[in-house]
Amino acid sequence: MPSPSYPTLWPFLIYGILVLLLAGGMLFISHFLGERHQEKETDEVYEAGIEATGTARLLFPVHFYLIAMFFVIFDLEAVFIISWAIAIRDVGWGGYLAVVIFVAILVAVLIYEWRIGALNFGPQGKKILRAYRHKIKGVNHNEVVDKQNN
Amino acid sequence: MSLPTILFWILAVISILSAIGVVVAKNPVHSVLLLIVTFFTITGFYILLNAQFLAVVHIIVYAGAIMVLFLFVIMLMNLNASGEPQKNNLVKFAGVVAGGLLLIVLVAALKKADTGMLIQGSTNIGLIQNLGKVLFKDFVLPFEVSSILFLSAMIGAIVIGKKD
Amino acid sequence: MPIQNYIWLSIALFSIGVIGVLIRRNAIVIFMCIELMLNAVNLLLVAFSKYHHDASAQIFVFFIMVVAAAEVSVGLAIIVMVYRHTKSVDVNILNRLKN
Repeated sequence: MPSPSYPTLWPFLIYGILVLLLAGGMLFISHFLGERHQEKETDEVYEAGIEATGTARLLFPVHFYLIAMFFVIFDLEAVFIISWAIAIRDVGWGGYLAVVIFVAILVAVLIYEWRIGALNFGPQGKKILRAYRHKIKGVNHNEVVDKQNN
Repeated sequence: MSLPTILFWILAVISILSAIGVVVAKNPVHSVLLLIVTFFTITGFYILLNAQFLAVVHIIVYAGAIMVLFLFVIMLMNLNASGEPQKNNLVKFAGVVAGGLLLIVLVAALKKADTGMLIQGSTNIGLIQNLGKVLFKDFVLPFEVSSILFLSAMIGAIVIGKKD
Repeated sequence: MPIQNYIWLSIALFSIGVIGVLIRRNAIVIFMCIELMLNAVNLLLVAFSKYHHDASAQIFVFFIMVVAAAEVSVGLAIIVMVYRHTKSVDVNILNRLKN
């Protein structure tokens, strides 16, 4: 019963109802078709028998927060750039100049993040490599010293 | 009642109930999930109001990015449901009364306002092309200022958050 | 559909957000209630955008989203730092400026 003044609403509504039916139907059918049993290990975290080593509510390192924050900000910037890209022929060179300034500020932020090391993640590869090289060099140096002594 | 009206009332009831749920939920994770439900209903209103691009952006930005940030922060902290100290009941009651008074004042102020019906039928002011045109013709300066705001927000958050 | 319906709905959502800010002590939930208030305003702006058949209000909604994203990223960073110092996100702990 699509009302004549909203001609574009009903396909969307049918689509939404179909999505709900599909997701609900999967859960409903699997409830009946799925195998159910109650054994000693059924409620364990890993039913195969591996012992769990703590809860799933573990603490994330703070670094993940920075990554999520960059995602939020760059996501919104993408929204603006898309709205420019769709209307590119209508806004002309003025809009182009505006977007260039916008993207330039964006790139400045990105370079700043890169230089300050906010994008580095996990173990610091360069630092480990430098320490390793230092160690190797130290060993070689000792060998040279040993040879000279001999 | 026409289809949009029925949808409006269904969405309105869901959004009010889930918004109340955000406020009263003991566990912050439940608050986040209920807030996502509220955002989805608000997206439904945007679609009813022919703001299609805004609806998509609202899902992507709010439900997809900002609420994920909230969940991350909750997972960064070991917050369990019973850990949060509650305000005493007098303060809670005063808060509810104050908010209710705000509601009453706003309703009373706008009750006699001269408003009309929303224009029926679909318009294309909410399409991306039209919004892009308006944004880059009339709102260029706020657009650039928003990029400066992004810059300052990122640098501020890095300076605050990166200190170990 | 009179626009009054959207006005009442926005007022209700905004008031729920205000009540949440007033009665909760968890800083993260207070932030979420602020998001709720921002979204009530966004909804009203979009309703009036349709009412006046003007796209400017929808652009305003974009700028409100920008401000919300910036506010959330900085505010949550502050909350994370507060949590690392005090092991709590209770706003009543923050009423001291020293120690």
